[in-house]
Amino acid sequence: MKLSLYTILFVCSVLSLKGQGPPITVETPVMLGLEGSGVRTFGRFIAREKSSSYAHIFAVPYNFTPTLQLAGIVPFKIIRPKNGDQVSGLSDLSLSLKYQLYKKDATAQTFRILARIVQSFPTSASSEAIKLGAGVYQTSVGLIFGKLNTSIGIYGDISYILTGDSARDRVKYNLSIGVPLLPQQYPAHQMNVYLELNGSYLLERSAQEFFVSPGLQFILGRRVLLETSLQLPLILPNHALDKTKIGFLLGGRFLIT
Amino acid sequence: MKYKWILFVLLLLPIWVFGQQSISSDTVYISIEIKGMACPYCAYGMERELKGLTGVDDVDILLVEGRAYIQTLEVNKPTEASLAEIIKNGGFTVGEIVFSNKPLLTREKMEE
Repeated sequence: MKLSLYTILFVCSVLSLKGQGPPITVETPVMLGLEGSGVRTFGRFIAREKSSSYAHIFAVPYNFTPTLQLAGIVPFKIIRPKNGDQVSGLSDLSLSLKYQLYKKDATAQTFRILARIVQSFPTSASSEAIKLGAGVYQTSVGLIFGKLNTSIGIYGDISYILTGDSARDRVKYNLSIGVPLLPQQYPAHQMNVYLELNGSYLLERSAQEFFVSPGLQFILGRRVLLETSLQLPLILPNHALDKTKIGFLLGGRFLIT
Repeated sequence: MKYKWILFVLLLLPIWVFGQQSISSDTVYISIEIKGMACPYCAYGMERELKGLTGVDDVDILLVEGRAYIQTLEVNKPTEASLAEIIKNGGFTVGEIVFSNKPLLTREKMEE
């Protein structure tokens, strides 16, 4: 109840401001002409009832054309069970392909819809007891959308994840609202505040996971962006053996050239 | 002796003034409307590409106007088509492009 109240207060405070930047835990529909010169990296710590984990992700996007982008995603993971030995190493590598389906640009505003396919490969190093990745090939097919202007950014994505085992197939969805706290200038330091919602639905078990993720983003001049976000669980599936207590993300995006 | 120096300066003054005017008229000022550019992080790619144009050292971007302002020498003046190509390749939509022999971005506009 207390958490819901804080969430409502946060939403109200966010909407009363002006706003945005790329969302933190939601895919962005704006594909900058980066040609491989952009890097995103972030670390995510998750505390669960019986374990804790830290994942560090590197993602490098490359634009073949203004409407087609390929990204390589390399994750490293550490899992520390409360009763047992720590396991660390490479998790599942993946490739992401984004294609812009629709774009409507106007002065200082845009609305875009993209299709996205992500293929992940079972490259994770795992012990018998603990798996650092899914351990199977996974294909995610989905849509990304976003409407942003200099005052507010609204972003969302929805994807269907095929695992080859129908019991594990699921739908993932994310929504983000972001607003800048400082006047929009370029180049300038900027601070954006976000309220993001992250959910997933396991189809065969009708089980749902739902998180609320408030976040902050700092744009430091032209080429460096730092971001941080908390993931607070609102709904967790009853069957989960190791329920999430809280998640914390800290990361950055860097434009190299 | 003192009057000779004043006379010398007075003679040089018109040469300096006309020289400045001729440099100014050789410069072309360009304003480019970049539709869809709505965040500071999005603007960097545009700044980088426009700086790649011959003779363009500075790019001023006004996000709320969705415009970039550049200047270069008349001999290096880019075509409207080449500017439109840069904007398109950056993932945005080109709007109005204005060429002028007078500065288009004033201090007042920047302060707004």
